[in-house]
Amino acid sequence: MNSLLLLNGSPRGERSNSIKMLERIAEGWRRKGGTVEALHLARRDQFARAVTAFAEAETVLLGMPLYTDAMPAVVKEYIEALMPRVAAAKAGLRNPTLGFLVQSGFPEARHSRPVVRYLEKLAARLGSRYAGTIVRGGGGALEWMPEQANKKLWQQLRVLGEQLARDGQFGAAELKAIAGRERLGPLTVMLATLACKLPLTQSMWNKMLKENGVWERRFDAPYGPAFRP
Amino acid sequence: MNIAILNGDSEAASPFQAYLLKLSQKLKDRGHTVIKLDLATLNLKGCSGCWGCWVKTPGECVKHDGSATVRRAIIDSDLTLLASPITMGFTSALLKRAADQMVPLIHPYFVVEGGEIHHRARYARYPLMALLLDAGEQADAEDIEMTTAIWRRTARNLKTRLAFTAVASRDAEEVANELTLVA
Repeated sequence: MNSLLLLNGSPRGERSNSIKMLERIAEGWRRKGGTVEALHLARRDQFARAVTAFAEAETVLLGMPLYTDAMPAVVKEYIEALMPRVAAAKAGLRNPTLGFLVQSGFPEARHSRPVVRYLEKLAARLGSRYAGTIVRGGGGALEWMPEQANKKLWQQLRVLGEQLARDGQFGAAELKAIAGRERLGPLTVMLATLACKLPLTQSMWNKMLKENGVWERRFDAPYGPAFRP
Repeated sequence: MNIAILNGDSEAASPFQAYLLKLSQKLKDRGHTVIKLDLATLNLKGCSGCWGCWVKTPGECVKHDGSATVRRAIIDSDLTLLASPITMGFTSALLKRAADQMVPLIHPYFVVEGGEIHHRARYARYPLMALLLDAGEQADAEDIEMTTAIWRRTARNLKTRLAFTAVASRDAEEVANELTLVA
C-alpha cells in the first residue's frame, strides 16, 4: 500500500487552504516511502481523472472546506460520479481505503460533525475501509498567519500522513488533538461575545472591504430590509 | 403565505417532478403564493469561495447567473422548501450548488449565537425552511436523518431554522397541510 490518491475538493483549487493542509499529510505519506497523485476536483479535466483513478487506487484522501455546513457542491458531484462503485462493491470488487479532511473557518469542531457522520457512512456505502476524518477549524486564518505559527499544525498533519501510510488509518488520539475543542466553554463564549463587538475581531473583513472601496456598502441587503442589530 | 420551492432534481421527467407539480397546486389551492424554481434550468455557476459577496459586492455574488433569482425568491418567501432526491445518501449536487451560492445572504462578521461562532445576519428576516426528500429505493431512514441533521445546521447558519422534513412517498395532500401549519 504505497500509492495515495490525494483529492482536493476545494472550489479554490490550487489557491485553497485545503490543499495546503493536504500537502502536509502527503509529506508524511512520502516519508514512509509512498507516492502521491494529487488532483483538484475544481479543475474539470482533473475531476474526470479523479473518477477513473478512484477505481484503481489503494488509498484515497479526500479533503474539503466546509461549505454551508456540508461538502462543497463539487465534492457532492464527485460522490455522485462514484455511484457505479457502489454497485461494483456489491458485485465483490474492491474499493480503496478512504480518509477525509474537513476544514472550516469556525473554531469549534461541532460545525463539521454532521458531515463527518455522512462521510463515514459514505465509506461504508462504497465498501471501503474507513481511515477516519481529520477535522480542523480556524482554516481561513491560515492565509494571514505567519508560517511559523502554523508549524505545529503542519507537524500534526505530517504525523497523520505517516499513520495513514503505516496503519491504513489515522490515530484516534491524533484526530482528537487536531480537531481541538468540540464546542466553546462558557468562559470562551463570554470572551468571544465581547470580542465580536470589537472592530479588531472583524478587522480582516474590514481591511478587505476598505481595500475594495465598498466599506460604506458593507451592510447592503439587495433583496429586502437590512438587519439592524 | 409566500412559498418558494427550490427544485434540486436534475431529471426532467421523474416521478418526483410530477409530485412537486401536484404539491405546488395543492399549496396554491390553499391560497398560498408558490414560486417553484427548477434549479437545473438556472445556469448556476456555483461558488468558487472568492468571498466577493462579502468584500467586493456586499450581498451579491460576483458571478452573473441564475443564483440571484434563488436568493431573491428565498428572501421574498415566508417558507423555502428545499426539494431534492437523495443520491448517495444526501440531497443533490444541484441543490448544494444553489446552497453554496446562498452565502451572500449572510454577513461575514462573526457573532456568538447559542454558544457557537456564526456569521452575522444581513437581512431583517429570513424564511423558515423545510426539506422535501425523494428517498427512492437507495436511501434508508438513517440517510434521511443525517441529511436532515446537516440541513438543520445550514438553516441555522442562514439565520433561520428547519421546520420539518417530509418524504415524497407521503401523500401530497398531507404534506401540503403540514406546510400550511408550520408557517
